[in-house]
Amino acid sequence: MIWNRLKYLWPAWRRREEREMREELGSLTAIAGSKELGNLTLAMEEVRATWGWTRLDSTLADVRYSLRALRSQPAFVAVAVLSLALAIGANSAIFSLADALLLRPLPVRNPAAVFDVSNTTPDNPLEGMSFPDYRDLRQKSRSFSGLAAYRLTTLAAAANPAAPAQIRFASLVSDNFFPALGVTPASGRVFLPDEAGASAEPVAILSYDFWQQNYAGGSSATGSTLRLNGIVFTIIGVAPASFTGLDRFVRPSIFVPLGMTRRLAGMSADPLEDRGIHNLVVKSRLSPGASPESAQAELAVIGAALEREYAKTNRNRHMAVRTELQRRIQQTPQLLALVKMLMGLVALILIIACSNVANLLLARARARSREIAIRLSIGAGRGRVVRQLMTESLIVSMAGGVAGLFVAYGGIRVLQTLSVPSDPPSVLGVQLDWRVVEFSLLAALVSCIFFGLAPAWQTARTDFVSALKAGGDGASGKGRMSGRDVLVASQIALAMVVLIAAGMFLAGFRNMLVMPPEFRTDHLISLDTAPAVLHYSPEQTKAFYRQLVDRARTMAGVAGAAMTESLPLSPSQTTVSVVPEGYQFPKGREKTVVFGAAVDAGYFSTLNVEIKRGRAFTDDDRAGSRRVAIVNQQFAKTYWPDQDPTGKRIRLDSADGPSAEVVGVAKTGHYLAVNEAPAPFVYLPYEQNPRSRMTLVVQSAGEAGALAAPLRDAVRSIDGNVPVFNLRSVATLYESRVTDTWLQFFQMVGTMGFIGLALATTGLYGLVAYTVSRRVKEIGIRVAIGASHRDVVWLVERRGLILAGAGIAIGGALTAAAAPLLAAGFPGLGVSSPAVYTLVPLALLMVSAVASYVPARRAAGLDPLRALRNE
Amino acid sequence: MLVLRTLLAGSLHGYGIAKTIRSTSDEALDIEFGSLYPALKRLEAKGWIASAWETSEHNRRAKYYKLTAAGRKHLVREHSKWADFVSAVGRIMGPLPEVKGR
Repeated sequence: MIWNRLKYLWPAWRRREEREMREELGSLTAIAGSKELGNLTLAMEEVRATWGWTRLDSTLADVRYSLRALRSQPAFVAVAVLSLALAIGANSAIFSLADALLLRPLPVRNPAAVFDVSNTTPDNPLEGMSFPDYRDLRQKSRSFSGLAAYRLTTLAAAANPAAPAQIRFASLVSDNFFPALGVTPASGRVFLPDEAGASAEPVAILSYDFWQQNYAGGSSATGSTLRLNGIVFTIIGVAPASFTGLDRFVRPSIFVPLGMTRRLAGMSADPLEDRGIHNLVVKSRLSPGASPESAQAELAVIGAALEREYAKTNRNRHMAVRTELQRRIQQTPQLLALVKMLMGLVALILIIACSNVANLLLARARARSREIAIRLSIGAGRGRVVRQLMTESLIVSMAGGVAGLFVAYGGIRVLQTLSVPSDPPSVLGVQLDWRVVEFSLLAALVSCIFFGLAPAWQTARTDFVSALKAGGDGASGKGRMSGRDVLVASQIALAMVVLIAAGMFLAGFRNMLVMPPEFRTDHLISLDTAPAVLHYSPEQTKAFYRQLVDRARTMAGVAGAAMTESLPLSPSQTTVSVVPEGYQFPKGREKTVVFGAAVDAGYFSTLNVEIKRGRAFTDDDRAGSRRVAIVNQQFAKTYWPDQDPTGKRIRLDSADGPSAEVVGVAKTGHYLAVNEAPAPFVYLPYEQNPRSRMTLVVQSAGEAGALAAPLRDAVRSIDGNVPVFNLRSVATLYESRVTDTWLQFFQMVGTMGFIGLALATTGLYGLVAYTVSRRVKEIGIRVAIGASHRDVVWLVERRGLILAGAGIAIGGALTAAAAPLLAAGFPGLGVSSPAVYTLVPLALLMVSAVASYVPARRAAGLDPLRALRNE
Repeated sequence: MLVLRTLLAGSLHGYGIAKTIRSTSDEALDIEFGSLYPALKRLEAKGWIASAWETSEHNRRAKYYKLTAAGRKHLVREHSKWADFVSAVGRIMGPLPEVKGR
């Protein structure tokens, strides 16, 4: 049956059948005579219809006809395809960015079935799990067919003891990590259950990229050894190229079992046995029959049992099942705001482009009304005409979509340079993949319906009698003209919204540049070291850092040296948990987690962080002396409003942790980003709060870069095996965090504004030019009866300006509605500067004036004789 | 069904089928060949009849249609359905009673 139909798709078969049929009917005519047989033409047509592909045939005919019609109007096609390509390209590029930031599914088998399991506490809606909790969950729960846990960390990797160690991202993973996620290694094998223990043989799996870079993809990698934090690991396998880890912005190079945590960190107690360390990410696969809701219910029961059994660590701690997208939004709500804003802006551009094409189609429809009228009058159904016109629109939009992919590719190449703030540096996975291609084609399809349907319908409603009678290009209906006016006015309105958004970005960006960093950025160089890699004892670490600062201070060309746990605006900001004395927490919460760092006595003077009250740390604030702390103004304002913070006490870690006295108040600075809302910060003296990894900051007398080599040597002279990394000038760090990323975002939004403006201007120009061509006769008469050059120019110009004015008015109203949204998403960026609100409308008005002046000049230059003779 | 029934007797060409239907029904059913032909092609596409070029009694070449096994089966099925239908209608209609009031 199917075959019977399919064979008719084959043209040769059809020709054969056609021949057979003609022959047969011919022979019968010879027998019976044609009169006796009836209407054979109709019979043949009916038979052809039984071949079953008339629909396809007519579609193909539509396509052929459309292509011919389009070929005869290359200018229209060029403008339409170009408009759509720019708009769809911008949309696809932003989609790929949104994909990289938020949307792309996990690179695992059937990612839709993978759910995130995490802790929630009154203090933190998204917290990791502790290993003992994870182990209990794995034993007790019935809802999951797989529960994988991992933790991201950095390791110092070296092929042999002599080679310099490179700091790499690594994942510490549970033994079932790969099978539970459905990831099969490209070569080698996955971890075995007995490799999970703390005393097991150290084994590692490499990421595909790391394998390519360091082993050139050779098969000898498996079985060879690799030193991680000084411990020798055997490589047992390589992850597939498609598996880039479960984090959006970080691609781990190495996977090792979680059981290695203690040995890699060089700790005496196993952190895995501590129920109070909540740093594991857990991903689950539901077992058949379980739903996220049923799993959530089971987790509530298990969580309550754990809370009863381990009140100290699990009080007020609950477990939550989330989809990956929910987790990402919870993690980075500001990215959702960014994605929404960017997608919104490009959607506006797509609407502008669609209005442009719709306008062109409407103009063209009048020119074609005669042709359509003929088709209608010889019996084509209106539905059939709409279908044919829609086919034309679809071809144009698909061409726009494909061309848009090239534009998107260009955009994606630019977006790929967006830096992700991380140490070591990592890439933002903006890429042109099938998801982007699908998105482009979908955008093309949607825009086709958007711009094509109304004009097609309008055209098919042509009153063919009057269209044929008028002879030229149909009667001019006033209603239709005003429809096009509305389109152009709304284009200008939308362009104004996009431009004002770009302007607000620019204004916010300028504010950011002039914003003082609140700390010294010039003549500073910083470097990170990690003596913990060599399993130093806490005492050894302390001695190492003391020695390092002393050596740096005595180096030539050094004006000062200091140590801090984290530099302001560096990607890795550290936090501390504190309980401020006398502060009444909301119910259920008992401590607050704020930015904080252990710093040495030289920190405030070296980085030029101003002390507003009290004193800075001194060398007397050492282990054993009275515990002290310094808070910033924002901290004092938040927790002790209208009180003198000096002399107040804060408890560290928890309500029964050690108590420290506030001896000073520092000026509030920027910690994670320049545009962040003022954040509370706590400084602790390093000697009282030793840390395993510190950053050395050195102030140079001359050029900071010149100190790089001597500083490296200084570390090496203390211990040649301690890895040195992130050696860079603070000015470079500051620029990369403050200028680069935001400059790129500004350029992006600026480009969007420009595209929007260009498209809207084209639309306005097209409409005014078209009006002129329609009014040639009228203008001819006006000139003939003595209208001056200026009168004519004004006549045309006025129309453009009225449209622009209407658009600007609507745009102003729209912007007033949209601006708060923008400001909410971007603290510090959504600045409504009056300059933007005046400049953008003025610029739009000027561009509109120019766009209508060109056709106005042409109108004024008309030779009245010729214009009238045309009739 | 009419076509299938007609072909039960033996193979015929297209015009022959139309003629036979007309004569068997005593001219009551006058199906024009033009209308019959597409139906023939549809039956052929369904595989119930097959066609082949043959020479007619007047020594003229024509395409002859004959019933296939599948067509025969279909005819038997359809025929019994038809018979059921006719008898059902017949029972309802019955002979008309005398019309009163004349």
